[in-house]
Amino acid sequence: MDATPTAADKNADTLKGPAASFGLAAAIAILFNTALAWVEDAYEPLNAYMTSLSGHQWLTHGFADATVFIALGYFFTGRVRISGTRLSVLLAAASIVGGGGLALWFALT
Amino acid sequence: MSDIILLAHPTFGVLGILASVWVFVEALNASEANASRVRIAAFAVAGCIVLAWALGGYWYTVYYGAEKAIILKGPWPWAHNFVMETKEHLFFIALILALYLPIAAAANVARNRGARAVVMTVAAFIALNGLAIEGAGAIVNYGVKVAFVHTGGEGAE
Repeated sequence: MDATPTAADKNADTLKGPAASFGLAAAIAILFNTALAWVEDAYEPLNAYMTSLSGHQWLTHGFADATVFIALGYFFTGRVRISGTRLSVLLAAASIVGGGGLALWFALT
Repeated sequence: MSDIILLAHPTFGVLGILASVWVFVEALNASEANASRVRIAAFAVAGCIVLAWALGGYWYTVYYGAEKAIILKGPWPWAHNFVMETKEHLFFIALILALYLPIAAAANVARNRGARAVVMTVAAFIALNGLAIEGAGAIVNYGVKVAFVHTGGEGAE
């Protein structure tokens, strides 16, 4: 079997529509989640403000993440075409950097 | 009731992990014949992880404060300061990926190798994240246990 991708195969790697837009939004939301956790932990007034919004900073944090994911997903819809391979790498990198960033931050602070 | 919620939280987490392995295997062997199973499994992942989040979130915001105080008085304060703090934010990564999975699986994974790669990557990271979160939950639980052992059970009631 010939493993060389044909033009049709290459085309089939491209993602568009919600799969592309919400994939990109997911990668950004994952990194946003980690950045927000850092800022919240380092800056107490923000933590207190987030607590005042919903009664618990963790709930507000979750709503903020969901808002970023959904809003960016809709914003990117129709605007983004991306290789599935590239999006996979982006999502994997965001998950590793996001998760590792959280663990490292809370281990050091 | 709080015990049922506390036990249901990791149970749905494990079911979500199993469902994400199911998605991974279906996507690995993607064809027109199993296209609907990929989508069903992806929705099962999202459903289980959302339930794990809702149940765990309710327990965390309502009941965890008392356990946190116990952990911080015990010999393993890092079970909260490091493990729980990381876990509570790590969960959002699994949640975002789980919410995205049915959207990615709606693409034709049998014909589009890019969609297949994305679905497999997302499913794999949900499973890996889930395993890390389950392990973290066990350490937090043990942080309470060693605190009770250390204090001779003071505050257990």
